Amino acid sequence: MLKMSKVSKTYRTDTVETHALREFSLTVDEGEFVSVTGPSGSGKTTFLNIAGMLEELTSGSYELDSRDISKLNDKERSKVRNEKIGFIFQSFNLIPELDIFDNVDVPLRYRGFDASERSRRIEESLEMVGLASRMKHFPAQLSGGQQQRVAIARALAGEPRFLLADEPTGNLDTHMADSVLDLLTEINESGTTIIMVTHELSLADRAKRNIFVRDGQVSDGPPELHFATAANG
Amino acid sequence: MDIGPIWRAMLKNKAGFVLIALQIAVTMTIMVNAFAIMQERANNVSRDSGIDQANTFALVSVSFEEYDSEKMKVLIDEDLALIRGLPGVRNAVATNSFPLRQGGWSMGLQLEPGTMTADAVGSAIYFVDEHGIDTFGSRIIDGKNFTPEQVTWKPLDDNTWPAYGIITEALGKELFPEEQGSYVGKSFYINDNDPVNIVGVIERLQAPWEGWSGVERSMLVPQRRTPEFQRYVIRAEPGYRDELMPQIEELLANSNKDRLIRDVTTMDEVRKLAYVGDTAMIKILAFVVGMLTVITGLGIVGLASFNVSRRTRQIGIRRALGASKPAIVRYFMIENFIVSSVGLIIGGILSVALNIAMVEAFALEPLAWYVIPIAMIALWTVGQAAVAGPARKASSISPAIATRSS
Amino acid sequence: MFRHYLKLGVLSIRANPALSALMVAAIAVGIGACMSIVTVRHVMSDNPVAHKNDVLYHVQLDNWNPDDPYGEPNEPPEQVTYLDATALHQAGRAFRQTISFKSDRVVQPDGDDARPFQELVRATTADFFAMFDVPFEFGGGWDAAADQTEERVVVLSSEMNQRLFGGEDSVGRMLTMNNESYRVLGVLQEWMPMPKFYDLNNNPYEGAEEIYVPFSLAVTGKWGSSGNNSCWKSPDGGDFAAYLASECIWIQMWVELRSASENDTYMQFLDDYVEEQKSLGRFPRELNNRLNTPAEWMVDREVVDDSVSVLLSLAVLFLVVCLLNTIGLLLAKVMRRTNDISLRRALGASKSALFSQYIIEAGMIGVAGGLAGIGMTWLGLRGIESVFSDYDFIAYLVSMDWTMIMGAVALAIVSALGAALYPTWRACSVSPATTLRIQ
Repeated sequence: MLKMSKVSKTYRTDTVETHALREFSLTVDEGEFVSVTGPSGSGKTTFLNIAGMLEELTSGSYELDSRDISKLNDKERSKVRNEKIGFIFQSFNLIPELDIFDNVDVPLRYRGFDASERSRRIEESLEMVGLASRMKHFPAQLSGGQQQRVAIARALAGEPRFLLADEPTGNLDTHMADSVLDLLTEINESGTTIIMVTHELSLADRAKRNIFVRDGQVSDGPPELHFATAANG
Repeated sequence: MDIGPIWRAMLKNKAGFVLIALQIAVTMTIMVNAFAIMQERANNVSRDSGIDQANTFALVSVSFEEYDSEKMKVLIDEDLALIRGLPGVRNAVATNSFPLRQGGWSMGLQLEPGTMTADAVGSAIYFVDEHGIDTFGSRIIDGKNFTPEQVTWKPLDDNTWPAYGIITEALGKELFPEEQGSYVGKSFYINDNDPVNIVGVIERLQAPWEGWSGVERSMLVPQRRTPEFQRYVIRAEPGYRDELMPQIEELLANSNKDRLIRDVTTMDEVRKLAYVGDTAMIKILAFVVGMLTVITGLGIVGLASFNVSRRTRQIGIRRALGASKPAIVRYFMIENFIVSSVGLIIGGILSVALNIAMVEAFALEPLAWYVIPIAMIALWTVGQAAVAGPARKASSISPAIATRSS
Repeated sequence: MFRHYLKLGVLSIRANPALSALMVAAIAVGIGACMSIVTVRHVMSDNPVAHKNDVLYHVQLDNWNPDDPYGEPNEPPEQVTYLDATALHQAGRAFRQTISFKSDRVVQPDGDDARPFQELVRATTADFFAMFDVPFEFGGGWDAAADQTEERVVVLSSEMNQRLFGGEDSVGRMLTMNNESYRVLGVLQEWMPMPKFYDLNNNPYEGAEEIYVPFSLAVTGKWGSSGNNSCWKSPDGGDFAAYLASECIWIQMWVELRSASENDTYMQFLDDYVEEQKSLGRFPRELNNRLNTPAEWMVDREVVDDSVSVLLSLAVLFLVVCLLNTIGLLLAKVMRRTNDISLRRALGASKSALFSQYIIEAGMIGVAGGLAGIGMTWLGLRGIESVFSDYDFIAYLVSMDWTMIMGAVALAIVSALGAALYPTWRACSVSPATTLRIQ
């Protein structure tokens, strides 16, 4: 379903050239639960941004459902992002001034669904994460775990091709983290593809396949080796 | 994109928006009332005074020898003969005043003889001979001009007013409000008991006082007088006015050393001086409105930028969730439109309230209804234009902000 | 602590130069607009005899038409008749009294090539100069005796003396007007009563007359008034004598009493006089005498044009717009500095400490805005001067005095502090924890 081939991303300033990703390749099939792991500075945030079409790649190709989406203009990319990708952020990124209902509604509005369709989807996805009763509450009134679950509901409401999760439990305590991961596993088991980016090994274990990133490239070898080297290098 | 969420979000963080709305409201109040005043003044200033403005001028002859009425008569006749004989002079008249001079003579006119009552109609008085009408350039719309026989010199010891008069149409309407037909042949009384028969009606000739409610009511009296300060009004042929003015001043000054010539002024200057207040007010208000637009425009740009900068993260999130750049721009344009609308509704109420207060306190004209929608459209446009820049800047915020850990 | 806050304020302003400059500009423009109009109004409503306002009175009698009041609803005429003016003056029941009118005369300077010119002359009685504290440079006025003997004497203004005699002591020199000779009795110092309170009938700002002669002289010479003249019934006869005996009003009358408490006594005298005249067949209307101090008289005559008040209301609203801008700018500044604020709060600053800090900073902006506002006011007055350039007297109406300058600064400070209240309250509400969240 998702195919990145030899993707490179270079940041250029007047004096410095940073190669954040070097010929990074990855294929993800439908229904997979993939974790992308690496220490900080390894390029996994860049990968995340590229995968989520938040940034453009410098070279290589990125295909989604056999369509090359690396060379699209802003409008088309926004559409793909809106329809095909469901984001889950480390810092939840709910909009504080909107209540839960309106928060889940945000991507649906850009989709062009009519009011009843949107309502239905919102209710269903909040139901799925167990927060349907809190629709009129505001993010500030929810715990961290609950906020992240709302974010998951928001990601699911549009029935995306895959969920893209960035350190989904980074800001949660162990108890909440567990329940969020259980939820993600549940969602994956019902058929949704998930790509999760993290630096925590325990999280990576929960995924079915692990990719390791180091210095912008996919690398092989056991995780411990990579992390040890990174710590010293 | 619907208004609901945008409105609800605004309510959660009112401060920045309330400021914009208030600013628009107060700006509208000022603009609407300023326009109303400017319009009223502009209407005043554009009124036709009834004379041949471009070609007419006046001067004063001041005698300082011992007063002798007979000598004055001779002098006046000589002066008029001299002036009227010059090439380029269409006509001239010796009179007491002229429109917009700000000083002159007025009398109360009544339909019944006797001491003046509250019903008397005030009118400006111009003493003229049979050349008066042509000199002023008035159009006779009914009846006719004075005949030379009807024009007499005022006797020294007799204050009776001449029995004939020519009135303006406005004066006729005020004196005879029920009359549908001609005013010619009708009579009224001046100075308590002196009857005046109307021999002619002219279309328009304003009084010397432009701020007077009866400014359109004037009466021509067929009487020649001999005051120490004699005013001459001279109408030139087109193009001759400027060369005639110094020429006539010199001629008259030299022809008689016991008088001096002063206040040589064109009717253009007279009008300008009469309406200094109105013209100044228009200029001042125009400047204020201009400045206000700039200040409010800049103010909204600033406040809108501020409002946008507080939501950088939110904008990044929206972009990540699939909002295209135009969608972000649209969000802010709609948000601003809502704020402007609230501001304009408040502004509309305030404008009317202020106008009512000013009509009460300062006898202003109530404002015309169409000024409000025009001001609204103008300010909507200013508001939208002001937010366009910040909105565009907002749309270029990278969606990658969403993945940054704050 | 105050000095410390001043220092913090300066640092903050320097750290945000653009924002601070905009705030100062916003305040300055608003102040400029307001104070320009306030200045004009201040000058227009000035009272040149404020120091003795309570003892000077303008006399009005109601000799008008029984069927039609002079002014609605029951206002007496602004001037008095010759009969009444002279009779009251003769009676001498006030400490000082003056009756006067203005008339155009032709001044004939010496020298063959000197051109004669027309000038407004005030014909007045002797007390005029003492009553209105008119300052003399050389010589003095005439005395009551001169009023009777009709000696041809004249008092000149400073400018007229400059024009005719080069500014030197001209007492004793002769002056020709309308082919008659006058002896100069006195020369005034510069005297520019604005408004010309003693004669508001035409242009209150046209400035005092340049030549003064005894009242009786003008009457004997049959000088016509160049001021306002109104009659509700025509004189019995066409000559000057009939005019003097008529009910036409053309004379301004003022009295000076020894103290304000004599007001009632003098009013009683006026009432008695009118009653007496009624028995002679005059004064058909109800008793309606008025005594107004200069301040009251100027209000009655609405010396300050309504246009000024209209402009003032709009200028105040303009200031409000500028202040709304200032509030926005201050808010932006505060929001930018939430880190600084939470840090201070975390380190122990109380809400009131923060309040003081920010209010003092706002006050500094206010002072700067006020000083800049003085410049703006000056510009505004020059603008007003230019659109009214056809009025020669406009230069007097657009001059700033110290009251106005201090007013500008005071208004700026008050406005800035007012505008700062909401943003400062927001600043104080920032909790120590908000922005110091640890990642």
